[in-house]
Amino acid sequence: MTTRTPSGLALLRLGLLALIAALAGAGAAPAADAAGKPRRIVSINMCMDELVLRLADRDAIASVTWLSQDPLNANMADAARGLPVNHGLAEEALSYHPDLLLAGPFTERSTVALLKEVGAPVVEFSVPETLDGVRRQIREVAAVLGEPERGEALAAEIDRRLARISLDPSRPPLRAIILRPNGFTVGPGSLVDEILRRAGMTNLAAELDIGAYQQIPLERLALLDADALILDSEGFAAPSLAGEALSHPIVAALGRRLKVVALPSRLWTCAGPALVDAVERLVEATAEGKTRERRN
Amino acid sequence: MSGAPARAEAYWPLAAALGGLALAATFGSLLVGYVRLDVLAALGDIAHGRPSLPALVLVQLRLPRAALGCAVGFSLGLTGAAMQGLLRNPLADPGVVGVSGGAALGAVVVFYSGLAGAFSLALPLGGVAGALLAALALYVLAGLGAGTMTLILAGVTINSFAGALTALALNLSPNPYAAYEIMFWLMGSLADRSLPQLWLALPLMLVGWGLLLSSAPALDALTLGEDTAMSLGFDLKRLRLTLVAGSALAVGGAVAVTGAIGFVGLVVPHLLRPLVGHRPGRLLLVSGLGGAIALLVADIAVRLLPIHPELKLGVVTALIGAPFLVLLIDRLRREA
Repeated sequence: MTTRTPSGLALLRLGLLALIAALAGAGAAPAADAAGKPRRIVSINMCMDELVLRLADRDAIASVTWLSQDPLNANMADAARGLPVNHGLAEEALSYHPDLLLAGPFTERSTVALLKEVGAPVVEFSVPETLDGVRRQIREVAAVLGEPERGEALAAEIDRRLARISLDPSRPPLRAIILRPNGFTVGPGSLVDEILRRAGMTNLAAELDIGAYQQIPLERLALLDADALILDSEGFAAPSLAGEALSHPIVAALGRRLKVVALPSRLWTCAGPALVDAVERLVEATAEGKTRERRN
Repeated sequence: MSGAPARAEAYWPLAAALGGLALAATFGSLLVGYVRLDVLAALGDIAHGRPSLPALVLVQLRLPRAALGCAVGFSLGLTGAAMQGLLRNPLADPGVVGVSGGAALGAVVVFYSGLAGAFSLALPLGGVAGALLAALALYVLAGLGAGTMTLILAGVTINSFAGALTALALNLSPNPYAAYEIMFWLMGSLADRSLPQLWLALPLMLVGWGLLLSSAPALDALTLGEDTAMSLGFDLKRLRLTLVAGSALAVGGAVAVTGAIGFVGLVVPHLLRPLVGHRPGRLLLVSGLGGAIALLVADIAVRLLPIHPELKLGVVTALIGAPFLVLLIDRLRREA
């Protein structure tokens, strides 16, 4: 319908981009060190932060997101402390003159587009949907960082820890339901499903007619008659109505009938290495065989 | 009562009928939910002290929802009638003039600052303080017996200012969920409310109701004009103070646990006014009961509608109330 003719607006946009590029010095070819490793790594995605902090040399990290310095929110907060932070904005990211810029799928699309247009060395990663995918992504990120051996080591450690988990084969899977802030639950077909399976549980949300990530009314949750209720907790220090759903008196009352497991959200916010911690915690919390006898 | 119009004599039967309806709506609210619940069996479990799942759901989820629906509706209807009587203006309503908005702001500040976690009564008290501030601001801006225009202008000012400050307070919270919770505070909801919240809000609302209902004779006298009312021995200054304090307590307590719900206090008094012979004093109780019915029915509707996540209550009351407001504006214009 419309033919693309260079309008004043487009010219202005080009001019602005050039200006940003010039300001950031992104035009200058990034200088990697002799071994070809990037030396000024900037991550503008919280989940990428975690992998960068685990895999790259600290002095090669130029900036991570501000989210990664909050110990309630991030697994590598200790390592992130003291590093310069960004808020995922293009201008900020460029100001570090990165020779590698890592972005995630939830990074603002316009930001990534802008960064690419000025020629910044952006590498985008998706969210893995399986534990295999998590290991694959660790290796991919490690390769980009120029640290393939560390990637192998981390992936191998995940394998080792997962292999160590032993479940009582005679016990039927616990029927579990997840309650996240705002009364959301995690539906079937997600990575969280696989985590539950690894921990010897089945996701009751599969029996409900809800999508992959849906709100569940508390009364429906209560009447599910589940064996385990997994609370996504310890997320934030400040109060919110979203968090209040987790402290509704009925959750405490249910705790007398079923196993309530509090799982810090930082362990499963990202599809990363901490998922293994999540599996281990779930196994540990439900291991005592304290599943109540089912009333029939 | 011999000289009173026949309509006024029907007052107690009317109040009794509305009370019965409110009770029925409360029970109806207990019956309605997202899952089929055998309420009778659950009641049996409760009576026998069996902590079954249905009993748990009935006591911990359905009961606070129904009771809060009834109490908050009563607060809104009653306050609407009282404010319309005091300001002698048909558009006075806690939602329209910003008292609800002020209450939401007060509750938001207390809740998100963590003060409500420190001592729980802080939350409804914050709502009352916010409502009180808004009512005082209205008083200063519009004055008593102000024209409709002045009242609405003052109300719009207070309402939008309180709304903006509420959004600001939510944005300043370090909790990332907070910014998304403005809908609850501006539109209101009874979803997943709890018994402790009922116990927190109810005492303040009860005191507010007492203050408002006790003003009925003075409000009736006020219809004869301020001078006549004073000559009849009513202390107008005290009346204003009682009504402002009562409104702040009733609305502040309500909004602190359910968010601001509009239109109930506007529409209900209008529908019932002709039935009580246009006497503002008699309108109080029946408006409260009517408000309870209206809110409970709206809350039953949001649970029966196949829309998820469920609609905020203010959405439903506005959908019904806004056309009503249009009719009212039309009538006011023709009368002018």
